[in-house]
Amino acid sequence: MSDTPEPVTIETARKSFASSASFVWIIPILALTIALAVAWQSYNDRGPLIRIEFENGAGIAKRETELRFRDVAVGVVEDVKFTSNLKGVVAYVRLDKDVAPYVDIGSSFWVVQPELSAQGVSGLETVLSGVYIEGTWDGDVGPAQSEFKGLSDTPLYRYGKEGLEITLRTTAGGSLTDDSPITFRGIEVGRVGKAYISQQGSFAVAEAIIYHPHSRLISETTRFWDTSGFTFSVGPGGAEIDFSSFATLVSGGLTFETFVSSSKRVSDGKSFEVFADEDTARDSVFNASQAEPLQMRVVFDESISGLAVDAPVELSGFPIGRVTGVSGVIDADAFGDERVRLNALIDIQPARLGLTEDVSPEAALQFLSRRIEDGLRARLASASLLAGGLKIQLVEEDNPAPYTVQTGDGIIPIIPSTDNDISDVTATVAGVVSRINNLPIEELLDSAIQFLNSADTLISNEDLRETPKAVRALLGDVSDIVSSDDMQAIPVKLNTALGRFETLLAQLEKDQFSTQLVAAVNAAAAAANGVNASVEGVPDLVKLLQAVAAKAETLPLEELTTQLTSLTTSADAILGTEAAKQLPADLGAALTEINATLRELREGGAVTNINATLSSARKAADSVATSTQDLPALVTRVQAVLNQANQTIAGYNKGEALSREAQSALRDISKAAEAMTSLARMLERNPGSLIRGR
Amino acid sequence: MVGMEVAGQYSNIISARELGVVACTRCTQVWPAGTAVCSRCGSTIVARDAKSLQRVWALWIVGLMCYVPANLYPMLRTRTLLSVQEDTIVGGAVELMHHGAIGIALIILIASVVIPLGKFMAIAFLAISVTRPSSVSNHHRQILYEVVEYIGRWSMIDIFVVAIMSSLVQLNTLAAVNPGRASLFFALSVIFTMLSAQAYDSRMIWDVQAKQEGTTTDE
Repeated sequence: MSDTPEPVTIETARKSFASSASFVWIIPILALTIALAVAWQSYNDRGPLIRIEFENGAGIAKRETELRFRDVAVGVVEDVKFTSNLKGVVAYVRLDKDVAPYVDIGSSFWVVQPELSAQGVSGLETVLSGVYIEGTWDGDVGPAQSEFKGLSDTPLYRYGKEGLEITLRTTAGGSLTDDSPITFRGIEVGRVGKAYISQQGSFAVAEAIIYHPHSRLISETTRFWDTSGFTFSVGPGGAEIDFSSFATLVSGGLTFETFVSSSKRVSDGKSFEVFADEDTARDSVFNASQAEPLQMRVVFDESISGLAVDAPVELSGFPIGRVTGVSGVIDADAFGDERVRLNALIDIQPARLGLTEDVSPEAALQFLSRRIEDGLRARLASASLLAGGLKIQLVEEDNPAPYTVQTGDGIIPIIPSTDNDISDVTATVAGVVSRINNLPIEELLDSAIQFLNSADTLISNEDLRETPKAVRALLGDVSDIVSSDDMQAIPVKLNTALGRFETLLAQLEKDQFSTQLVAAVNAAAAAANGVNASVEGVPDLVKLLQAVAAKAETLPLEELTTQLTSLTTSADAILGTEAAKQLPADLGAALTEINATLRELREGGAVTNINATLSSARKAADSVATSTQDLPALVTRVQAVLNQANQTIAGYNKGEALSREAQSALRDISKAAEAMTSLARMLERNPGSLIRGR
Repeated sequence: MVGMEVAGQYSNIISARELGVVACTRCTQVWPAGTAVCSRCGSTIVARDAKSLQRVWALWIVGLMCYVPANLYPMLRTRTLLSVQEDTIVGGAVELMHHGAIGIALIILIASVVIPLGKFMAIAFLAISVTRPSSVSNHHRQILYEVVEYIGRWSMIDIFVVAIMSSLVQLNTLAAVNPGRASLFFALSVIFTMLSAQAYDSRMIWDVQAKQEGTTTDE
């Protein structure tokens, strides 16, 4: 109670409290420092918050859903909220500080979800881990942005999938499968993105990407076409089903080809058309819609049916345009008459002319004008052998009439036309047929028949048959007087004539083997000569034969007969020999052979086996020649007889009448010899006439 | 109840200092006032620990500081095949309550929220009541102090649960339970509040009463 130390201790305690604080305060101070440091550090390490607006939440969860870049988490969703008008969902993503600068204005974000499609399964890992937000941005720091619009689909162009970004557009009436692969030679080289319908609703448009380095396959003239589905065709090669791959069969796909090489590289944003199939795509290269067509017209002098709208216009077989309109035109002022002409309006695609620099209608017109001045002309030609129809061909014409293309406002330039080339094959076939038709087969046969008939008539003539007898009688009559002096001159004449005949014969014989025909003719000529030389009466027969053969039946048979009769009465004795008797039989046999040959010619293959015929004719002629081989001997005998007769006649002065008769006979013989000579010459010149009968 | 009765019975308690003695806090040997070192056990003897309140407040602050992240960070990180779940203390309790396990939820709430908060408040009250007069009797405050000190160690039950769960549920890819960051802070918070409670020199409770009584007796 009364202890005093107590206040003292309190005093000292209070003093020490102020002066020396407990060391234990270090702990909270330390804790605070650490806490503050950690707080500051975490604040400092914290990246910026970006705001990504999506159409829907798609499974984004607070503090769970990651933002990934190249499959590495670079941020986490801090909050998910609705936009002010409830039209979307906003994800607030806390970025990692080190990537934050790269998330710039060019960044794009989308939600990766598991997806099962015909091309395969993607985003499978998100089945277990939940969705994540994938972002893509380039490696350059650009203008910063903190508000982004999330994509509803995985973008085509993203990090690691760089390529050429192009736009695909369907052709009129075509279709396009979106989100499908673009293959080239079966390898996927790109993708078609989401397609949408153009504002006019006339075609579908889709973004597409061709990955590097395949993008170098694309040039301005590249054409895309649809490979989806399959084609089934039945043709001469059998039934055919064709599809490019199962994936494209199910989900569609595109492929492309650069039909015409072009050095022009394509830059991002280039638009291409997608065609229904390869053929259309290929055609379109030459039907390029990128250039305005050049409109021209062609006026054809004849109005020929068969040229239709859309018929091709070809230059060197290469389609460069098409016919856009066909009409008839009557313009007396321009063409000088009032005939209906065919006026064809054509569209020429400048791109197909192969112009290297400027592909425009003006350049095309300049090019064509130059070519037209050089002789380029238009003509109509058959488009198809089977289907018929016409097309317009531009062809170079040699030595064309000069023409300058008129150009100017409102003038459709005219391509001058030239002779049409229609129905080539039909015309050729028709020509062949008509040429065959024009062959004088009928005439030939008629001539042969006439000839044979005439020969038959001649040979079967009773008078002729009587001739040897008469000649024999005549010879018997004149045998006494043939040795007269007046007759001496005759053998000389005869000798010269016979010499000529013999040389001719020899020549003919020499040339016998030159050709079958010549040989045949020669043989025939030799035979004729033999006949002529042997018998005085025979030359008339030969002459008649010649006349018959020449279809100049001017010599009446009766006259010949009378002459022969008159001759035979005087030369009956001369021809009394057996050889002379046999001669007509030989000739008859030969002619029968010729007759048979010609009949065969008429009945048989006619033209086809002319060779056989000719050889037969030659044989026949040979036979004639053989039969007349012994004629020279006969002739010598005749000469002897005549000599004798001449002497006889010379001895008989009063036998003037006979002498006159004999002289006239000899004149006739002389004429006959001359005629024979001319015949021989003629045959020599034109051996075929024997066969053809003229 | 007993305390109340005791307090009622012994309303005028004479402190050792008033008797001019000082007791060794370690071996309870009573020495005359002014003795510096206990001759029996050799520990330092002070009648009142002058820096006790400083230590109490310092450790109390650290404990409170740790208690904040212990509640903000997840206590338990449960990873199953399909998902990873991280729960804070309160969040986990609420979830349990949603699943119908109200009992467990209450236990967790009481053990992890009510008791630690109560301890903070009790220690703060005790520390304040030393310097300022309080309507609560000295005896009650002494009992409060003893309860705080006794119950402090049970706060570690959360940490035990987390530790046991973490060591037992480790099924590789199928499922795994890992302690969250909050467990560390929670343990620190418990440790510091326990230290704070221990640093409190309960003898000061009686000094205030002595003053009050002194003044009243003086008046």
